[in-house]
Amino acid sequence: MSRTSNRADGDLVRDFLSVAGLLEEPRLAQLYTYFAREGEATVQNVMDNLDLAQGTAYSYVNRLVDAGVVEVTRESQPQRYTTCEIDLTVTTVAGDREYTITPALIDAVGRRETNADIDTYIDRHGVAGLATALTYAVGRERGEVTHRLMADDLDISPLAAEMILQALRPVVDEHYDIDESGAGLDEMDIDDISADDA
Amino acid sequence: MSPLHIADTGLFVAMGQPSNSRYQAVRRFARRNDITFVLPKRVYEELTVDDPDVEDIPVDTAIDEGWRTVAAPLEFSEPIVSRAMDGVQQYIASADDRPADDIERADAALAALAAQHIHTGRASSVYIYTTDIAAGDGAETVLPSEGYGDSVTFVHGFRFIEGLVAGGN
Repeated sequence: MSRTSNRADGDLVRDFLSVAGLLEEPRLAQLYTYFAREGEATVQNVMDNLDLAQGTAYSYVNRLVDAGVVEVTRESQPQRYTTCEIDLTVTTVAGDREYTITPALIDAVGRRETNADIDTYIDRHGVAGLATALTYAVGRERGEVTHRLMADDLDISPLAAEMILQALRPVVDEHYDIDESGAGLDEMDIDDISADDA
Repeated sequence: MSPLHIADTGLFVAMGQPSNSRYQAVRRFARRNDITFVLPKRVYEELTVDDPDVEDIPVDTAIDEGWRTVAAPLEFSEPIVSRAMDGVQQYIASADDRPADDIERADAALAALAAQHIHTGRASSVYIYTTDIAAGDGAETVLPSEGYGDSVTFVHGFRFIEGLVAGGN
């Protein structure tokens, strides 16, 4: 990857390395997402919620701070941390694609450890490919595109497209405002017999 | 005359394997209400594709169990079928700002199958279960213009399953 951004040159290399690191280490991506979701948190919160040992938690938090993607908001003990805004556009090695690293993408990458579909997709298509899939996932939830159009555009099977779109749906729910569409079970005019009677 | 239940690829993917509580919830719903989900042929082909990157979907298991079946080919001799097809293709094309010819016919086939069954009197109403909002909204938008407004319901595949699982069904 090389980067194209327009921020001050001094920040360029550090930003690139830090964010690239986030995308290569799912645990760091998960931790970044945790801070982003909570707004502010302490290392103790991290240990409790991400089930990390104290040494590991401190090590991870320090790496995020050193990388400049997380900062201290309160110096007095216990220190509290929050995320810094990331706005970085990268170009793939082949130079044929550009994508923006967003909190949603970092969240998606962080889920690869617990979601086999995301993990497989990154193995096959890279983080750049996942960024593209995330764009389709947002468009699909907004009613602008279907899994078949994604499959056509990206030359993958419709089933593979549907799988990754479903795997990314919780990420879309978390990071984007999506209006509810269609009917749920309650709105269907079916006189369903309750489970107790079945 | 009973309702027709047309299911798209996404519903089956969301259900997962037979050991999954989502799969079991949908199967119980189908059996309790004597429902057979009908798959357009193209949906069946999508689900049974040989793709090493994705886990197999147990579609034939459910067909063997009797609560899914594959639809006969669309009857394009019925003008309503072609009109529904064209209408939904145009709807999705405008939503995605691309030419209607580029829109997958399988997306529109859900609505075309619905129109065919209502028009020929084989179904009183139709439920379309899909995770593609554009395809579901397209059916609900186009079929009323053919006079079938109240007969078609787009069921959001995830919300349907989540409702079943949350209700302990």
